[in-house]
Amino acid sequence: MGLLVEHINKTFGQFQAIKDLSMEVSEGALFGFLGANGAGKTTTMRMILDIIRPDTGQIQWNGQEVRNVSRHSWGYLPEERGLYPKMAVEEQLLFLARLHGLSKQDAKKELDEWLERFQINANRKKKVEELSKGNQQKVQFLATILHNPDILIMDEPFSGLDPVNATVLKEAFLEMHRRGKTIIFSTHQLEQVEEMCEDVVIINKGQSVVQGNVREIKRQHGRNIARLKLDNDPQVAWLDTLPGIQVTKRRQDYIEMQIQSDLNPNLIVEAALSRGGAVSRFELVEPSLTDIFIEHVGTSGLPDAADLVSAPGGRE
Amino acid sequence: MARKSSPVIIDETSEQVQHSVLINPGSTANQHTLRNIGLIIGREYKNRVRQRSFIISTIIMLVVVALGAFVPTVIQYFSSTSSTQTKIAVVNNAGAIAGLDGDALTRYIGTTLNGTSAQASGQSTSGKLPFAITTQTASALNTLQNQVKNGSLDILLVLNRPTGQNLHFTYYTHTDSTNDTNQAKIQALAQQLSFLDTAQRLGLTPAQTSSLYAPPGFTVVNSGQKGSSLSIAGYVIAIAGNILIYIAVVLYGMGVAMGVAEEKGSRIMEILVNAATPFQLMAGKIIGIGAAGLTQMACIVAVGIGALLLQAPLQSVLFGSSSAGLLQSITGVSITLLLLLLLYFILGFLLYATLYAALGALVKRQDEVQNAVAPLTFLLVIGYVVSYFGVYAPDALWMKVISFIPFWTPMVMLTRVGAGGSSWWEVLISILIMLVAIVICTAFAARIYRFAVLMYGQRPGLRQLVRIARMH
Repeated sequence: MGLLVEHINKTFGQFQAIKDLSMEVSEGALFGFLGANGAGKTTTMRMILDIIRPDTGQIQWNGQEVRNVSRHSWGYLPEERGLYPKMAVEEQLLFLARLHGLSKQDAKKELDEWLERFQINANRKKKVEELSKGNQQKVQFLATILHNPDILIMDEPFSGLDPVNATVLKEAFLEMHRRGKTIIFSTHQLEQVEEMCEDVVIINKGQSVVQGNVREIKRQHGRNIARLKLDNDPQVAWLDTLPGIQVTKRRQDYIEMQIQSDLNPNLIVEAALSRGGAVSRFELVEPSLTDIFIEHVGTSGLPDAADLVSAPGGRE
Repeated sequence: MARKSSPVIIDETSEQVQHSVLINPGSTANQHTLRNIGLIIGREYKNRVRQRSFIISTIIMLVVVALGAFVPTVIQYFSSTSSTQTKIAVVNNAGAIAGLDGDALTRYIGTTLNGTSAQASGQSTSGKLPFAITTQTASALNTLQNQVKNGSLDILLVLNRPTGQNLHFTYYTHTDSTNDTNQAKIQALAQQLSFLDTAQRLGLTPAQTSSLYAPPGFTVVNSGQKGSSLSIAGYVIAIAGNILIYIAVVLYGMGVAMGVAEEKGSRIMEILVNAATPFQLMAGKIIGIGAAGLTQMACIVAVGIGALLLQAPLQSVLFGSSSAGLLQSITGVSITLLLLLLLYFILGFLLYATLYAALGALVKRQDEVQNAVAPLTFLLVIGYVVSYFGVYAPDALWMKVISFIPFWTPMVMLTRVGAGGSSWWEVLISILIMLVAIVICTAFAARIYRFAVLMYGQRPGLRQLVRIARMH
């Protein structure tokens, strides 16, 4: 069953933030929710949490309207820091856990265990604003999971973390996954999604553009990317003259190109050999999620694309 | 970099906005209302009373109140023990005045200036009298004038009698006339002497003279309906109560608005609305901060009363006599008025705090709170001013009307009660009106709150607020 989002629409003023979005997240999945800045990820998450409601369409959790699901089943990690900056870590987490329905004893037990695991036991009496950004994000994560919710909605949990803290948090993610929690999270680090998620959805301008199993998606997008390395000719300038080929990257270790689906890749090798090239590497690769993302979202997904939020109604 | 979809965008022109932003209007979180409100009250109260600014401001207020209570005693102490004594030399060229001459005249002047009681207790308490009077002969006049000039003598008073006329007084002093507090006393003395002297020259007997002095019979018949026995104490309670209510509402109401704005600004609101309803959040915050405020006020009032109660024994030690007139009348006032003050205090805070919470929810950043709540402060000031002037006309029609308007009831009705100008059923009705107003304002504020807490766009206009409030 899991989470079912069906044809939801949401308009703010003149600006349609979400257009006929449908998606399905099976129970216990670790689900990647991808999209450019302003694509509507946070809005969708808030609608899933019933913080705001869609204009039309419906959202169900295990067959039940989300508005009727107990608040205590949800854990939400907002994109920006959502903690009392001047409140001590321990006190704050106990307050939030109890507000989410835990008894004082249970909250304390869970807290002790997690503070130990996250190695922030020494900071438990400190104010949140005194912690490093990484530790703050850990506390934020604990605020989301301490009351043992069934569904975790996490808006960019990995942003701004150093590799060490990112690894600790990723371990905690996988731990929650092992415990059978349903986890929906958004991120801009697509390698992480490739590593951790079975299923993803990519949305653009409030619409779903790609969704499904990660491996499935990659296979659908075909083997139309090739990597070539010639020892005696690092630039391989003549590639640009071949019809049906578009060089996408010129790296030190290889050159990556997109080839038209009807083009036989062998032609590239033949062309290289006929020009006296010493081929040390040639492979056909699956597109990365980044490639797929850029293919579907296009340049509007790049960081310097116009901000959809600051200009409501300016874009459709 | 692009700020990722903060989804709630407010377009002033949009009709749809109101429908789009509805945060958890009920459902499951309702089951835990009391538990959640209790938890939030606990957090707000603890958070508040532990704040350094709260502790420091409490201590400062306690010190000010305690010191303030000691001020009259201290002033009395210093004036009674002060070594400054005004030296007066009297040169009498007028001969006997009203049958007084020489030492008799000196004693009369001394008694008049220092007061009889002071003279009576003067010897026993060893305190110096404020005025020391010596009589000098006319031959020393030049020396005395020089002494006034160089400051070794404070005042030289020369009495002359132009032939067949009234007495003439010449007053020599070194003090700037605007700062001279003695001149008026000496002038009064001169008038009295001249009066006695004239009376004697006109041939009046002492009995006739004193009958001239006798005050007229003056009986006050008050046909107002209330007994005015508690008036003075009532006024004092009403005025002090109004100040307390004013300070509390502004201080703690602002605390509520700031707290809401802080939660919104730090985005913890996004987590909180997932765990509790907007109504629970608002109620918990208001009650928690209100309780902290009540604690602070209780400390201040307790210390103030304690310090005042100390004054009577302290004065009896210092001056040998107790003179705690005002205090006894305050502590003696009916307990009903004090309870009424507490009730109006709480009701007034609740009424205003809901609106402070709503306005706090409408701003984007904490530093905008001050501006946003200005109308409320203004509303409160009106009540304060009305009750300030209303003290003099507690029975006026406009006072009666205003005392039933809930925003002004706490101050204005309290003033009327203090002045003895209202009956019990009026108080009861005003309390009922206030309760109804609180319910209405809470409902209104909860809607605004629910709508506004996750809105980071423009502040909506008044028309929009009304539309929000009428939704559902």
